[in-house]
Amino acid sequence: MRDTLTKVVNAAVDQFGAEYVEVRVQKLFKTMLTIKEERVEAAKEGIENGAAIRVLVNGAWGFASSCSLDAKTLVGVASEACRMAKAAGHKLKNPIKLVKSRAFEDRISVKPKKDPSKISIEDKIKTTSTIAEIVLGFDQHIKSCTVDYLDLAGTNYFMNNEGAYIEQDKLYVWSRVLVTAKEAEVFAFSREEVGSTSGYEVFDREAPEVVGERAARRAIEQLKAKTPKGGTFPVVLGPNVVGVFVHEAFGHLAEADLTLSGSVLMGKLGKRVASEVVTIYDDGTIEGAFGSFKYDDEGIPAQKTLLVKDGVVVGLMHNRETAQKFNARPTGNARAEDFRVEPIIRMRNTFLEPKDHSFEELIEGIKFGYYFERFRGGQANLDGTFQVGIQEGYEIVKGEVGDPVRNASISGNTLETLYKVDAVGKDFELWPGRCGKGQTAFVCDGGPHIRVKGVLVGGGA
Amino acid sequence: MAVLKEEETISLAENAVKFALKHGADEAEAFVYQGFTTAVAIERGQITKSSRIIDQGLGVRTVVNKAVGFSYTNIVRNKAAVEETVLKSLKSAKASKPDKDWQGFPYKKPYANVKGTFDGTIYGLSPEDLVKLSSLMLSAAEKTDERVFPIEGGTGASYLSRAVVNSNSVLGFDCGTIIECSLATVAHESGEVTPVCFEFNAERTYKIDPEWVGREAARLAGLALRAKRVETRNMKVIFAHFALQQLLYYTLMNAVKADYVQRNQSALKGKIGEKVASEVVTIYDDGLLEGGLRTWKFDGEGVPQQKTLIIERGVLRNFIYDNYTAKKEGRESTGNAFRAGYLSTPNIETTNFHFAVGEKSPEELIGEVDEGLLVYSLQGAHSSNPASGEFSVVATPAWKIEKGIIVHSVKGAMLAGNVFEVLKNVSDLANNERKAGSLVAPWVLVENVKVIGN
Repeated sequence: MRDTLTKVVNAAVDQFGAEYVEVRVQKLFKTMLTIKEERVEAAKEGIENGAAIRVLVNGAWGFASSCSLDAKTLVGVASEACRMAKAAGHKLKNPIKLVKSRAFEDRISVKPKKDPSKISIEDKIKTTSTIAEIVLGFDQHIKSCTVDYLDLAGTNYFMNNEGAYIEQDKLYVWSRVLVTAKEAEVFAFSREEVGSTSGYEVFDREAPEVVGERAARRAIEQLKAKTPKGGTFPVVLGPNVVGVFVHEAFGHLAEADLTLSGSVLMGKLGKRVASEVVTIYDDGTIEGAFGSFKYDDEGIPAQKTLLVKDGVVVGLMHNRETAQKFNARPTGNARAEDFRVEPIIRMRNTFLEPKDHSFEELIEGIKFGYYFERFRGGQANLDGTFQVGIQEGYEIVKGEVGDPVRNASISGNTLETLYKVDAVGKDFELWPGRCGKGQTAFVCDGGPHIRVKGVLVGGGA
Repeated sequence: MAVLKEEETISLAENAVKFALKHGADEAEAFVYQGFTTAVAIERGQITKSSRIIDQGLGVRTVVNKAVGFSYTNIVRNKAAVEETVLKSLKSAKASKPDKDWQGFPYKKPYANVKGTFDGTIYGLSPEDLVKLSSLMLSAAEKTDERVFPIEGGTGASYLSRAVVNSNSVLGFDCGTIIECSLATVAHESGEVTPVCFEFNAERTYKIDPEWVGREAARLAGLALRAKRVETRNMKVIFAHFALQQLLYYTLMNAVKADYVQRNQSALKGKIGEKVASEVVTIYDDGLLEGGLRTWKFDGEGVPQQKTLIIERGVLRNFIYDNYTAKKEGRESTGNAFRAGYLSTPNIETTNFHFAVGEKSPEELIGEVDEGLLVYSLQGAHSSNPASGEFSVVATPAWKIEKGIIVHSVKGAMLAGNVFEVLKNVSDLANNERKAGSLVAPWVLVENVKVIGN
């Protein structure tokens, strides 16, 4: 592979005029399953091999990709990428530059205890079917259960014209359970996700039965739930909701490309944006976590990046282009979903740092409010407006967790809300998920329980 | 890397099916997909990149003893790789569990002619041509309002082709084109940043208006400045195209899928013939709509696409089916088996979800509102309850309407409710139909929506 890539990189520079060129090759094998109740919809396997070539010519980007990996085709793709860059550069006012960085040479191997490619598809069907059986047998009001499963294994190759050459094994195991329950005219819905970069042993750490039962129990409990009152209330957020809040409401605004686009964090570096108890990291180095990797798709080592320290913004997430603009160091956040697309700035494992409160201390002073334990989805806007939909929540009445509520959501302005975080718990959980920003990235989000003095709660109908 | 021709595509699929039958498949189906896309991107006020992507691949479904296996590859020019893919599919089928409801792949039926889905001009566009279109869009935005910053967008031109062959003599090939341009903007004024405002234009033939997109994206961002909060109360809401698409995509469009209905995940189960929306609501799923973004001769299983009446003057008439869910009820598929390229097995999706239009202009519709909101986009629609249709979302960008006039933009307003209540409360429709993803609809006026401000 190295010889092929060397030829392509040299051709791009010597023949086609690239000032920067990177070639990424992917060789991946995937197994996928979808179980709907007792039915295996289809057992699926697939191969995805391809190459992506990105170049800078006269300060403009060109990109081309190909499913074919022979040297001759790839030289043609490099020529195409350079042609694209030249076309794009016609009207360029501010040429793109990349921050200088060390060129790494490395070979990263993964050594899972249980390699998913060595586990038979029958066993994978058994594991996922077990989850569905547990869910369906939990209660007569459970109406449907979908279990999706994915494992992905292979190798990524990276070379640029600055001397970097990295071979990096990839391994992901992921599963998702969706449950619906119905009683009279009330529908409840719950979701659980499992995800890891370590191996199939993720199902040993938490047995499929446990995951299934948790999803089923939540759906059933939601049947009895009432809809929340709309309005502003004190809330306690569980680690799962804190995770999606720091990811959606804050994290995206701290992706340097979005900061430059005018997110509310523009010009806020070094300034206070949150209460003193708020410290936020985006960390690509957590062993086995769903958002971890050694090198990003620009060949930069992933690192633990401090974004907010004691309420003050101290860092952003960068690729080499934005790092150059901010005169900062790249943070290893450039990720591409596959060979069809270019790397863009993505989060890895994003979390709020725990402090010292117990759960009881967080809720004891609240006369009436809500405890939101699990999210359903979340989204943020550059102006700092966020929304997080809740799948599992409870009233807090006189300092105690009360009746369940369903279909709640919270919203507000991120920075105003971060100022209202007045207590942070001492527990910690990290949850796997998938983030969409045009491309899908595997990530984790998390943190401890936290208390927010007041947040807008969108009630049900 | 070259684009596969029609004959190459079909013989690739035919050979895969033959090979599968020879190696023990009871039934087999091959789907070949190819996408050839040239795109130009705008980032932070300037054109910064251009790309060309060819993606092609083969997906093979095989059935052994009523158990379904699937495998795909994007290495299509290598016979050994294709054969290995077929064998993997067979191996998966043999490892899988028999499905008692499996009743075979569909049989051949004649395909209708579809109109306005291919334009050779689009196929021939160079990156330089697309740079010109992007540039027109960008300068139109800049000229409209100097407080506006175009953050991202661009233009793209695609040629797509698909072929389906199965062992029940289905054989189809279809190709089409799509051209699109889009621009996302924000406006800044004395420390205030607006939410992202977005406009786009996508067509199957070469008749897009990038300058209109640029002007409109900039106009919206300018109008989104000086936002104020609103009070909590029930009021009228006009859902503009994107907002309606977002609202329906995660709720109604799922509720009419036979898969959701059969698996008790749809609030519309058992309601065929019942009134589920107000009388002004008539919706077709029209897979043959002229120039529709989801118009094709056949679906992902080779079944002819068709026009299916979903809601007729408020009364629920039909659900949408793929072959599997249709056979389960002893019906025929409505041609709604959707495939996201070659990477996946088909699942049920709407084609062009076509909302009948009204007669009023958008201005007249606004004129009817004494107090209410005009909502262009929703944040968090994907967190709706997919089974019940309950939603709790942020309306942004949105504008307050008082006495028939837009008075200011709105910040932090949430909308909460149930989509089926919303459908019953639709009181009027505008005449400004347009395509937004799989939805084709005008602006829709809804009475009595719960708005949570503070």
